Amino acid sequence: MKSLRIPRSPKVIVGLIILGIFVVLTVIGPWIAPYDPNANTFIPNLTPSWEHWFGTTTLGQDVLSQLLVGCRVTMVVGFIAGLVATLISIAVGLAAGYMGGRTDEGLSLLANVFLAIPGLPLLIVINSYLPAGSQANPLVVGLVIALTGWAWGARVLRAQTMSLRDRDFVEASRIIGEKRWRIMWSEIGPNLLPIIAASLLFTILYAVGVYSTLAFLGLTNVSTWNWGTMMYWAQSNNAALANEWWWLAPPGVAIALVGTSLALINFGIDEFINPRLRAAGLSARQRRRVGLARRPRLGFTPVLRQSTVDPKKVS
Amino acid sequence: MSLTDANLVLHVSNFSVDYGYADEAIRAVTDVSFSLGRSRVLGVAGESGSGKSTLVYGLTRLLRAPGVITAGDVRLRLSGAREGEIIDLLAATEDDLRAIRWSEISIVMQSALNALNPLHKIGKEFDEVLRVHDGRLSKSQRRQRAEELLALVGLQPDRLQRYPHELSGGQRQRVMIALALALRPQLVIMDEPTTALDVVTQREIVSELHELRERLGFALIFITHDLSLLVELADEIMVMYAGRIVERAPALDLYRAPRHPYTLGLMESFPPLSGERVAMTGIPGSPPNLKTPPAGCPFHPRCAYAHDRCRNEMPPLNDIEDGGRSVACWLHDPASPVEVPVSLSRRGDTTPGGVK
Amino acid sequence: MASNSIDEKGNHGVTTLLRRLAIYLFTAWTTITVNFVLPRLMPGDPIQQLIGKLQGRVTPEMIAAIKAQFGQGLNQSMWTQYVHYLTQLLHGDLGVSITLSSPVSDVLSSQIWWTVGLIGVGAVVSFFIGTALGVFFGWTRGSRADVVIPAATFLQSVPYYFLGTILIMIFAATLHWFPLMGAYDPTLSPEWSWTYIASVLRYGELPLASIVLSSLAGWMLGMRNMMVTTMSEDFVLMAVAKGLSRRRVMWHAARNAVLPSVANLALTIGLLVSGSLLVEQIFNYPGVGNLLVNAVGNEDYPLLQGIFLLITFTVLGANFLADALYYVLDPRTRTAAVH
Ligand SMILES: Nc1ncnc2c1ncn2[C@@H]1O[C@H](COP(=O)(O)OP(=O)(O)O)[C@@H](O)[C@H]1O
Ligand code: SF4
Ligand SMILES: [Mg+2]
Repeated sequence: MKSLRIPRSPKVIVGLIILGIFVVLTVIGPWIAPYDPNANTFIPNLTPSWEHWFGTTTLGQDVLSQLLVGCRVTMVVGFIAGLVATLISIAVGLAAGYMGGRTDEGLSLLANVFLAIPGLPLLIVINSYLPAGSQANPLVVGLVIALTGWAWGARVLRAQTMSLRDRDFVEASRIIGEKRWRIMWSEIGPNLLPIIAASLLFTILYAVGVYSTLAFLGLTNVSTWNWGTMMYWAQSNNAALANEWWWLAPPGVAIALVGTSLALINFGIDEFINPRLRAAGLSARQRRRVGLARRPRLGFTPVLRQSTVDPKKVS
Repeated sequence: MSLTDANLVLHVSNFSVDYGYADEAIRAVTDVSFSLGRSRVLGVAGESGSGKSTLVYGLTRLLRAPGVITAGDVRLRLSGAREGEIIDLLAATEDDLRAIRWSEISIVMQSALNALNPLHKIGKEFDEVLRVHDGRLSKSQRRQRAEELLALVGLQPDRLQRYPHELSGGQRQRVMIALALALRPQLVIMDEPTTALDVVTQREIVSELHELRERLGFALIFITHDLSLLVELADEIMVMYAGRIVERAPALDLYRAPRHPYTLGLMESFPPLSGERVAMTGIPGSPPNLKTPPAGCPFHPRCAYAHDRCRNEMPPLNDIEDGGRSVACWLHDPASPVEVPVSLSRRGDTTPGGVK
Repeated sequence: MASNSIDEKGNHGVTTLLRRLAIYLFTAWTTITVNFVLPRLMPGDPIQQLIGKLQGRVTPEMIAAIKAQFGQGLNQSMWTQYVHYLTQLLHGDLGVSITLSSPVSDVLSSQIWWTVGLIGVGAVVSFFIGTALGVFFGWTRGSRADVVIPAATFLQSVPYYFLGTILIMIFAATLHWFPLMGAYDPTLSPEWSWTYIASVLRYGELPLASIVLSSLAGWMLGMRNMMVTTMSEDFVLMAVAKGLSRRRVMWHAARNAVLPSVANLALTIGLLVSGSLLVEQIFNYPGVGNLLVNAVGNEDYPLLQGIFLLITFTVLGANFLADALYYVLDPRTRTAAVH
């Protein structure tokens, strides 16, 4: 059994650092916000300055404060939706993949249906039928997002479970007579970890994106600060036409950075799952140093005329 | 080093290959030298992981990263229109290599299913190599040629219309062989072409190859880990262990009278070609980790005849018995403190393992 | 994820395709049923509230129509209502839009072409460009060209509405290279004239560019991964061993690598359409997405439901087309393998 050792490439490290920063801001953002995000007492449309790092809005509010306060809701909804969706997909994927038969048929059909229905329109419809109080509640919205976002992970996990189910070590413990759930938990589970991690990253990405999209469309409570509502207010006050980039850019870039960090971490997981994606041998710079072409060429094995193997190791 | 003898097709000297660089590097092929005559068959045997594939893919410059050739000299004598020319494969440019690939050297890989493009019909595979290398052939000529080639390996022309997945394993491998012969190359390399097949098909293909070689006269490097398969086909056999040649001899001599303990072990891992089945004893242990190869003879941790010298000094590949064959083992050193056991000192006309 | 040349049950070719079709039909039926059930089961009775709000604002006939459509005060059993609902749908009757006071089907059929034109063209263009770029960057993996990977990853993470807004800000509002919003010059009236068509094309440029730009990176990164994976296959090395030119070798790899992309197409269309709905909101472009957002804002439930059905059916149809395309491209789906 392999342990989850994600290659520690620069990509993964950068991704973890960016994500770490946003996680910290999720916790402390509202506390370190310099002003009340709702206070509209400042001079409108200020460009960034010492007093207002990200300037002020047309309504005279401080952009940085909105960004910091909005971080928490955005991230919490994203993580909750991602977690719940991943839990659903683990349950469905493992059950379908391990049990097979009718259970599998039914669950697979369910997953396929959810995959085929376009998520955002479905969310918009469900959301519009929610009572006004629930629409404003980020938790409820997060759960609804989870409901529309679990199917992809379930499908991948199911396929992987099926292929693991028939491998030797699972077969062996089945013969010894271990209980089903124990086999699933102790034998199959650890082998699914990288895939579960990837699907968690994807669903968080999806949830952050979808939640802020709903907010941008004004379909959640527009007075709860999150990055989508910031864009909503910017859009409804024609910030783009007035070239107020300092108002538009922070929420958009923040979402993009969170997304990038998740994707970068996923690169590492991808390379773990699919070793062919791993860069073979040295980085371009190291290759140059030992005198090789920058990039390996298919069908043109390099001739170095000197071994780099430690001579002590070759008797 | 050069290819002075006009009867030689390929001459390899002191060829070494590493995987990776610096701290991660391992030496997968070390100091291999051999030459191959026209229309001769060289068998390469050894357990999985002994460096057979690395050797031939390295020679042809087809080895993928992180493989690096770190020493040696490889010369190929060209045929046909370029008769008499000798090309230095390690100094060749990509264009030089492209010009001789398939027309001078072709290769058959272990898994035909993986080696054939799944989206191409068999016919297209033939058509492509014929078209790319000989622009003068018309479409119908190419097709006719493809049918002839299939007939050569005993397949019906209708196979040209099939996709690889629609053929059986044996048919696919025959297709690969026919494809390898398409441009009448003078050197064909086959890397465990029969390993994935059942025993009956293995034997069929080997005897077909024997006939084809007689008829077409190509030189062949045939890799397998099954020594008994080679005796039928090969003129000479090279046994590899941990990236080195440990024994080389004419096929029948090697088979009947092995000199290296590893060769003996290999033979006992497979049932003999004919006669009663004997218990297969095989070789205890597993090949060394090339990251930390053992000091001295790399085989010593598994060798029943290992003695002090084996643990400290690397045995060189020395000619024995008047140069007809060579072996890398201290047992055969005149100064060996251990007497050469009977099983490793038979005369070439007796058979091992008690099989008549 | 991975390519499915044969489905779970080992069925081949047409059987697989028919199974997919069955799943899509089942999904369509599910969508219809969800549409029926949601307004009736939701806590807080949204329809009752809506009718309350509408009293006096629309004609009594309208209120009666809405009540009928959502089964208010009819004392019919759920089952009767359901059968009635299905029958109406079969006749293409999606009810009457509250805000626009005309049949939903009429509203949709007048607006759908804008959406199909813009999003359809955008999807196809970004798929082709993204795939081509992915082939190139996969082939040159390890070279200097790798610097596009972090950039593409970032671009892929930029929310569509942000990208669109920024494009407007830079290229329309500031540089004035493109018109600000709308689908055609408002001084023109829709007709089959060259000026009108030219205006539609002109106004479509920036929205189209925004769609292409936002989904390009995803296709590119996916295709690059597949290309890298495929290049480690034996048959690609074989193509080199056969002395084929680099272009040909790349083609061997690319044709195989594109298959999973096509298999993914089905999964991605829904996402693409969802994201692209925003384009109409941002560019004030006519079409179904714009209608959808307005319908939500105005609590125009009949219109909302109609749009949802339309979008879902279109996506299902596109999914099926993608499956069929895969079937055509991969011979392994068509004939049984020999073992
Ligand atoms: N891509 C690679 N990276 C590192 N080591 C490799 C790689 N490919 C093969 N090796 C090592 O090189 C040795 C020789 O392998 P190979 O030539 O495939 O042996 P054979 O063909 O005799 O089975 C093995 O020990 C194997 O582990
Ligand atoms: S050198 Fe020594 S260890 Fe190596 S094969 Fe010969 S006897 Fe065995
Ligand atoms: Mg091998």
